[in-house]
Amino acid sequence: MWATNLKILGVTLGTIALYTLVANVIPQIESEVPEELSFTGEVTAAELVAAGEELYAGAGGCTACHGLGERAPNLLTGEGDQGPIGTRCGSRVEGEDCKAYLHRSMVEPGAFVLAGYQPIMPDMSRTLSANQIWAVVAYLESQGGQVDVTAADLEAETATEEAPAGGSGVAEVATTDPQELLNQMQCLACHRLGSQGQEVGPPFDGIGGRRDAAYIRGSILDPAAQVAPGYEQFAGIMPTNFGERLSAAQLEAVVDFLAGQR
Amino acid sequence: MGHDGGRPAALRPVIESRRVRWATATALGAGLALLVAVLPAWAQEAAGGAAAGAREYGQFPGIGSRAAIWIAAEVHLMFAAFVLGVPMFAMVAEAIGIFGGDERYDRLAKEFTRLLLIAYSATAIWGAVLLFFLTTLYPRFWSHMASIFEVSMWIYVGLFFLESFTLYLYYYGWERMQEGGAKYAHWGLAILLNVWGTAVMFIADSWLSYMMSPPATVTTDTASGMVQLWSVINNATWMPINIHRVIANVVFGGAVVAAYAAYRFLAAKSDEERAHYDWMGYVGNLIAIGALIVLPFAGYYLGREIYEYNEQMGITMMGGFMSWLWIIQAFLIGVLFLAGNYYLWVGMQRIPGAERFLPYTKWMLLVLIIGVIVWATPHTMIADRAELEAMGGSHHPFLGVLGVMSAKNTAVNLMILTTFLSFLLYRRANKRPVVSWARAATLVQSALFVIAAAIVLFYGVYGYFVTAIVRIGFSVYQVLAVLFTIVGVTAIDVFMLRGAESRGAVRWGKMPERSQYALFVLVVTFTWLMGLMGFARSGIRQHWHVWEVMRDTSPWAATPALGYAATMISACVLIFLGLISFIFWLGGLVEKPQLVPKRG
Repeated sequence: MWATNLKILGVTLGTIALYTLVANVIPQIESEVPEELSFTGEVTAAELVAAGEELYAGAGGCTACHGLGERAPNLLTGEGDQGPIGTRCGSRVEGEDCKAYLHRSMVEPGAFVLAGYQPIMPDMSRTLSANQIWAVVAYLESQGGQVDVTAADLEAETATEEAPAGGSGVAEVATTDPQELLNQMQCLACHRLGSQGQEVGPPFDGIGGRRDAAYIRGSILDPAAQVAPGYEQFAGIMPTNFGERLSAAQLEAVVDFLAGQR
Repeated sequence: MGHDGGRPAALRPVIESRRVRWATATALGAGLALLVAVLPAWAQEAAGGAAAGAREYGQFPGIGSRAAIWIAAEVHLMFAAFVLGVPMFAMVAEAIGIFGGDERYDRLAKEFTRLLLIAYSATAIWGAVLLFFLTTLYPRFWSHMASIFEVSMWIYVGLFFLESFTLYLYYYGWERMQEGGAKYAHWGLAILLNVWGTAVMFIADSWLSYMMSPPATVTTDTASGMVQLWSVINNATWMPINIHRVIANVVFGGAVVAAYAAYRFLAAKSDEERAHYDWMGYVGNLIAIGALIVLPFAGYYLGREIYEYNEQMGITMMGGFMSWLWIIQAFLIGVLFLAGNYYLWVGMQRIPGAERFLPYTKWMLLVLIIGVIVWATPHTMIADRAELEAMGGSHHPFLGVLGVMSAKNTAVNLMILTTFLSFLLYRRANKRPVVSWARAATLVQSALFVIAAAIVLFYGVYGYFVTAIVRIGFSVYQVLAVLFTIVGVTAIDVFMLRGAESRGAVRWGKMPERSQYALFVLVVTFTWLMGLMGFARSGIRQHWHVWEVMRDTSPWAATPALGYAATMISACVLIFLGLISFIFWLGGLVEKPQLVPKRG
């Protein structure tokens, strides 16, 4: 029986060893924690680019989609007949220079969705700090373009972060004009209204005829509570912090405006 | 094993019965006592959440806190899967014994329930270890969990007691509740045992799935008092994980039963014993592979829900730093399919009449091997700039887009169909149908196979000519075609083989020894795969204890690469298999199973 026991042990250990070996010989990729960046006023472009490259290839998780040519546009290599992102970012959107375009693409990803791709890009401000985002912007600019991220951008962002934010009762913008608020809050990046906007979420056209004010208010404050039929695949994209970003008067202005769209 | 010295035969049942009671009562008592001992510390931790803020993490000597919690959680989970899978196994086996009149199944169910008693206490002990480690090594995180889930934790403990005492009643009442209505009441206990066990698992699943997919209403600033319990329990991935685990537990229970039988087969001293354990190994393998066939569908459901909850999380899982994990998974599942089919094909040698099917096995082997190769072909792996430049693009210069999901889905569906065909041939090997419509029915069955394979292949090829979002939808048609065939062919087979003539009885025990090693490979692979998938599920949270709600700020926050994970998984598998072997040995000491004369 000892011989049989040894054979069983051999098969067991051999199988475990094989799996361990196979898992050790394939490429080893670790998911790093995004390193918190702290720059002084004398930060150089090269330092920003180096930090950005590390985030792009590592903890930022950017390479999971960008670079494969299927889920998201290639950024480091050409996209179609265009060059890397640094050569094309300045001309992507009229009125947006390269730096502004890249930054907005990361913190408001629904704003610019390239034709042929799904709006799957997450809001990077939920996982990266402001400095980290600027570092990635600098790295992307360096891919065939000019790096113009400066210490002033970082300082401005830091000042914004340190100012009283959501929950303090101070709204982001002062206006109570609902159409202005829809623009300011980027609602039309995902909802169509007349000739404006995209249809990632339910259109605002005629929404007052389909939903009452209470439902609209609830959907703004807690978008996950009820997902409109047909839009389940985009559940989770809508920001959940409008309750903090809008004052009560602003929220009611938007709700009244949308409820009136019949 | 299982010998009782020179004691008079008449005394043996009494002595054995006392031994079983003492052994199980002591072991269960120890487990429960440990759990109860932990509760004050747990309650204190929950109540003193604010105070615990001063100390966020503990330090475990030597291997570090992450490794310690990893081992405790994984080994606990493996035992939990075993003690949840085996009662399902016992419930079905006892039902076959009652309604099919085959007493062997009743004995089989009892034999495993006896082992369950000891394994149950091991599960409780590892649960207590996990709880100790959570409260001492991750106090901030555990304080958060306890403050949100406290009510469900109390219910969990209550259900745990109910489950324990139902198990006592189920096992110790076996002989007394053998006749008439009492037997049905006894089977009712098996159902109740599964109800408690499943409820316990569902509660624990809510905790871990919350960590992965907390509802949008919970943010970093949400006070625990504002959280609605049901919203965090019924989170996006809770039910998919519940379903996946129920099926996986059945698979795991069947595989462990088969491995136990394989060991007993190899150690058997008589033909009678060998025949019994050969049959038991067959039943265990049948259940394991049978449930494995539907497991990928539950996996797809879980994956889809992860994508719907958070696209970024889904991409991290399938295409981000975890992309290579799925190649390892394909390799492991390939081993499962090959070993499971090999066992069946070798087993056909002991069935009179099976010779007519043996020439087909080489073609089935070919389909399986090609399937494994296609499934294990890498695609959209995470690559850095240098690697992209070396490949000359986003895909491999030779393989191109061969490894897209179209090809992988096609491969796995054809492998499932092939394995189902193996079962079918095994099942009807020694039977000759007597119904007049047997030939027509066989033709219909063949047509179902061909149509399913054609649908799978058609959508597999067509998938290359459409966009990714359309391609993903095709997998539903492929799965439905395969499921329809499995259900349809099985239904036809059941009616066609009613009253079938026998070509000869199965020669139980006349099985080459090499076949039994396939069962060991199966149990090791299932256990390892469980560890790997646990790493995938937990790892996609990356540096978050609770996704986008609570960051992991410990020194072990980074999610390790597969090599390190594999070493940890192997350590857990060794600990589990070592302990379960000890439990089986212990089970053999206290009572010798009653063998029932075999049937054909």
